[in-house]
Amino acid sequence: MSAPVHPPSSLGPVLALAGKDLRLLVRNRGALFFALGWPVLIALFFGLVFGGGGERGKITVGGVDEDGSPASAGLLQRLSATEGVELTPLTRAEAEARVRAGKLTAAVLVPKGYAEAEARLFHGAPRRLELAVDPARTAEAAMLEGILTGAAMQSMQALFSGGDGSRKLVDSALADLAGAPAGPQKASTARFLGELGTFLDRQQPATPATPAAPGTNATAADPTGAKAAGAAPAGGGWKPLEIEKRALSGDRVRPASAFDITFPQGMIWGVIGCALGFALSLVQERTSGTLTRLRASPLSSGHVLAGKALACFTAIVAVEALLLAVGRLGFGLRPASWPLLAAAVVSVAACFVGIMMLVAVLGKTEQSAGGLGWAIMMPLTMLGGGMVPLFAMPAWMQAAGSISPVKWAILALEGAIWRGSTAAQLAVPCAILLAVGLGGFLAGAWRYRAQAG
Amino acid sequence: MLTLTDLRKSYGATVAVDGLSLRVEPGEILGLLGPNGAGKSTTVHLALGLLRPDAGSVAVDGLGPPTDPAVRRHLGLAPQALALYADLTGEENLRFLGRVYGLSGRGLAARVEWALDFAGLADRRGDRVGAYSGGMQRRLNLAAALLHEPRLVLLDEPTAGVDPQSRNAILERILELKRAGLTVVYTTHYMEEAERLCDRVAIVDQGKVLALDTIANLKRLHGALPVLVATVGGAVRRIPTADPAATLTGLVAETTVEDFHVERADLEQVFLKLTGRKLRDE
Repeated sequence: MSAPVHPPSSLGPVLALAGKDLRLLVRNRGALFFALGWPVLIALFFGLVFGGGGERGKITVGGVDEDGSPASAGLLQRLSATEGVELTPLTRAEAEARVRAGKLTAAVLVPKGYAEAEARLFHGAPRRLELAVDPARTAEAAMLEGILTGAAMQSMQALFSGGDGSRKLVDSALADLAGAPAGPQKASTARFLGELGTFLDRQQPATPATPAAPGTNATAADPTGAKAAGAAPAGGGWKPLEIEKRALSGDRVRPASAFDITFPQGMIWGVIGCALGFALSLVQERTSGTLTRLRASPLSSGHVLAGKALACFTAIVAVEALLLAVGRLGFGLRPASWPLLAAAVVSVAACFVGIMMLVAVLGKTEQSAGGLGWAIMMPLTMLGGGMVPLFAMPAWMQAAGSISPVKWAILALEGAIWRGSTAAQLAVPCAILLAVGLGGFLAGAWRYRAQAG
Repeated sequence: MLTLTDLRKSYGATVAVDGLSLRVEPGEILGLLGPNGAGKSTTVHLALGLLRPDAGSVAVDGLGPPTDPAVRRHLGLAPQALALYADLTGEENLRFLGRVYGLSGRGLAARVEWALDFAGLADRRGDRVGAYSGGMQRRLNLAAALLHEPRLVLLDEPTAGVDPQSRNAILERILELKRAGLTVVYTTHYMEEAERLCDRVAIVDQGKVLALDTIANLKRLHGALPVLVATVGGAVRRIPTADPAATLTGLVAETTVEDFHVERADLEQVFLKLTGRKLRDE
């Protein structure tokens, strides 16, 4: 009985207590599932429900017909009939507003002069379309660009399979071309149009041949139409369609995918699971007698609470980091700012450590603490946007949600992940979270000491 | 070693400890014997400073009040509840509790080895406590109270809920501690345990110490006279006597005694006499 007993340093016992609690957490499969597995399931489920992955939905497009011609109407009709595209006829202002608000992927604007350009077809300014896209949805915009080109080519095909109409188009083009200034492109275009006219005449023998326009070599042989068609672009002039693409930045930043919203939500569920788990563990220490043993030791109640808080804080940060890693590696989560995200993660952890302390002292038994904890946290979570995203809630509910720390936690996480918050903007939710955490911890510690007698 | 003076503690209208005073001498095992609800555990908690008394005082001789962390380093507690972490192994429990008391390095390792040997769990050190039998858990609960080499250890019903074999093993280990000179406060409602272990016993009921003395003196002062039970001519005769040997001698001189034995007073009788109630509910 001679081994010396060293006075416990202030940090050593705290680390021992925290290490013990973390070890117990790792060995508790149920708690581990609710801290890690459940949040990932939540993030995945709601992410998929809100269209965050898997089979993509239709590309939503606003169609603006400023030309008001059969040609522009035909183009938009073909676009609308394309599989995977959902087209809504709108005005320019409406369409652009909806793209900015993230309600449409893009707006296709058919400007005045479209039909006229289509009639000219092979010379002069080409047909022109405007494509206004959501910059966060570049992949879908690129797909849409391809679809538009295809639709435009379909209109060309229709033109050249239309009998008299096709011949008239060629004649009109040749007539226009005759008045154009001389140049190498003029000659080659005239030759191509001449060959095309001959081809159309052979397809429809009843139609009398139209003489070549003066000043052109329309009858000069070019054995293949393909060669002629190919020659035009090589000459650097002819384009069947010109798409003027521009990005429409929104009035506010929007998430890149549904997972940007659902992963912060999932993290909140993990954080709550973790905090309530630690609250229950403190109650369990009380009911099982281990707390009595700790209180009989040289440790102060400050040591005991600091150890529990450190373990809870560490576990929450680990849960948040793990879920972020899953989101980053598996679901394309791209935090806008890692330092701000770290600040948000720490603030959320501090807040829920305080909540853990409060719940731990409210319940006398594990059952009552567990029931009470979820009874408090469930409405706060729903009100704070932990289940239905804040933006989907009515305004009054969003305002009411301000009483919930969950709302501030989600705002802090989202601010750093996709809202593009500045440090000053993020300081507000983080300060609220830290205040709630500190208040909860102090109130819990006061009640704990009072209960300890 | 430990002095409790006129301690009082109430929970609302319920008086748990009512003017309780006693002194524990160094190196002795003092038993607190009383039925469930007598105030034994509350007394232990007051003695350790876990509860604040409504009145009265607690002092650990030469050290001060038990609320001082420096004093608590010299005190050990084996709570009535199994105060162990079921999901940690026996060794992990001991290592953690050792660190709580400031042990580290080789000192901690040596004490953990000692405690595992003391509890007879060296070969089960890597098993989770939840997988131990009730007796093993009780032994570990006791060993954990001794890990940091306290000068005074308070054992609150340390054999509660264990089988007779395990109880015997635990009592043997406590006797080892007695031989090593450790001061022990032992609460129980088993008179057999008190008789086997304790140098002195305090009979506690309704938060009061009704009597405090050696077992022999308690029996002598508060027990009934020994009873000589003799079979004479096929009939059983019960003769209360202060000197059974002399009474037997006289009886043999008068007649033929076919059989006899002596029934002596026990603590159950002492308790019955002091309180008018039995120690344990039948």
